[in-house]
Amino acid sequence: MNALSRRSVLKGFGATVALPFLEAMVPARRSSGAPADRKKIRLVCIEMVHGSAGSSAIGVKKNLWAPAAVGRDFDLSPTSLRSLQPFRDHLTIVSNTDVDPANPFTAREIGGDHVRSSAVFLTQAHPKQTQGGDVLAGVSLDQLYAQRFGQATPIPSMQLCIENVDQAGGCGYGYSCVYTDAISWAAPNRPLPMIRDPRVVFDTLFSVVKVGTTQAERAERLSEDRSILDWLLASVTHLQKSLGAADRARLADYLDQVREIERRIQVVEARNRSGEVRDLPASPIGVPDSFSEHVKLMFDLQALAFASDLTRVFAFKLGRDASNRTYPDSGFNGSFHETSHHGGREDKILNFAKLNAFHVGLLPHFLDTLKNTIDSDSTMLENTVLIYGSPMGDSNLHNHKRVPFFIAGHAGGALKGGRHLKAPNGMPLANAMLSVLHSLGLEELEQFGDSEAAFDLNAG
Amino acid sequence: MTRNTTTMLAVLALTAGLSAQKKADSGLSGTWNMGLEAGHVIPVALVLKQDSDALTGTISMPTQRAGQTVDVPLKGTVSNGAFTLSGTVEGAKDPTTIEIKGKLNDEGILEGRVAMSGTSGPHGDMAYTAERLKERK
Repeated sequence: MNALSRRSVLKGFGATVALPFLEAMVPARRSSGAPADRKKIRLVCIEMVHGSAGSSAIGVKKNLWAPAAVGRDFDLSPTSLRSLQPFRDHLTIVSNTDVDPANPFTAREIGGDHVRSSAVFLTQAHPKQTQGGDVLAGVSLDQLYAQRFGQATPIPSMQLCIENVDQAGGCGYGYSCVYTDAISWAAPNRPLPMIRDPRVVFDTLFSVVKVGTTQAERAERLSEDRSILDWLLASVTHLQKSLGAADRARLADYLDQVREIERRIQVVEARNRSGEVRDLPASPIGVPDSFSEHVKLMFDLQALAFASDLTRVFAFKLGRDASNRTYPDSGFNGSFHETSHHGGREDKILNFAKLNAFHVGLLPHFLDTLKNTIDSDSTMLENTVLIYGSPMGDSNLHNHKRVPFFIAGHAGGALKGGRHLKAPNGMPLANAMLSVLHSLGLEELEQFGDSEAAFDLNAG
Repeated sequence: MTRNTTTMLAVLALTAGLSAQKKADSGLSGTWNMGLEAGHVIPVALVLKQDSDALTGTISMPTQRAGQTVDVPLKGTVSNGAFTLSGTVEGAKDPTTIEIKGKLNDEGILEGRVAMSGTSGPHGDMAYTAERLKERK
């Protein structure tokens, strides 16, 4: 019997839903223990702006970001990474690296750190100071991977964000807002726009608009609060007849997840349409006012996209430089920008550490989902590389030293994990990123950004 | 040691001395990334040119519009390792004078204070440190 194609979809009027990995997709001649083709590694690149409390002099002493011990026996409890303890075997923490390309290179560039830094995070290239259309940075890490392997999936890569990052024109110090808003660059002169609205992500993943529905039909569907799964009933029934019991259960779980995420988006939309006063009045109707709710929705959409192999690459921008957003869920209510400018005072640094820990604390939800998702002969987390970091170090000084950075996932076995690696003073973060690219299968790359050499991510 | 060698060494020593003197006299010249301690550290550009004990330059002060700066021309002197600079913000409604005092410490970092005042009195007084901008190829 022929194996079910990995590209099989459930199709109905108004929607297309890709399938999760099913046993029926494994060719009969390959036993379950036989080695698969090159592993399909998923990549998630998460940027948080303004560095970390642990990058300040006091923060280093108190291990607010990087653990004290180097190697495998590190203690996460004083750090902002403590929520990742259940995933420590999947963690590779790289501390003490610098992002020099985010520094000013000329007198006119001094002061523009907030405006320029996001463009540097995934490119490790120094952006050209311009407010015009002649923007220039570098090809970002996620795009290098997507351009090599992304054609194997319907969507080569996606770019998501949480804050409003669609400001036009100049953002100050002679820089285009594009440098502040975009972390993915397909070419040195081609920044990619980011999607903030979970509804847009959902509809993009499930081709809701693409399969012949008009805007009016889509609006009608939204107003009825119906599910895209209603349109797929016949297709699901047909497919289930050809599946074994385990696959039927897996398919049912997956469709439940699709429906659950769709329902959560509908709840947000209904709430935001209700006339209640919003915390984020200028945000699209599909954007939750709650930061945690928004981030979790975006993570669940990424997990779903990975499960159905619609894309293997996400860039995810959690914040925007100089944002005055507050995070009441963190247990501290100060505004982000002001708190990050702590003046070197210990009490304020500890408050900023609370915000750092809160942001990192949203990851276990995602990591747990990946860990519980079967991917071929392993789990999705095993076959994932998630990088999390910032192009800034001590935001009080606006410097780019000792920037926060870690990797989660084993890259299909290329990364051992369970390590804290402290770089020698002055080492570019790009060295670690070059090694990340190697672990993703781009072994021939000799340089990335301002890298000097690859950094052994499996040392120790 | 021959007489010629002695003469040559003397000339070299004199040249080296002159060179060191010249270097010292232009020691503050260059672009400095200055951090003004204003609650948090605000980076501003300070460009200096030292000619013996005369010091000129510009400081790019942030304006009230975020992301915009105004270049303020500066003039001053260097004496016994310390320097003073002053300038006036041109075009301001209330003419603001900036006075910068400082010295170069042993680690090559400028440190001192920046004071601002207008016709209504002092506007503020901030500590600062400044690192020389790294030269790029």
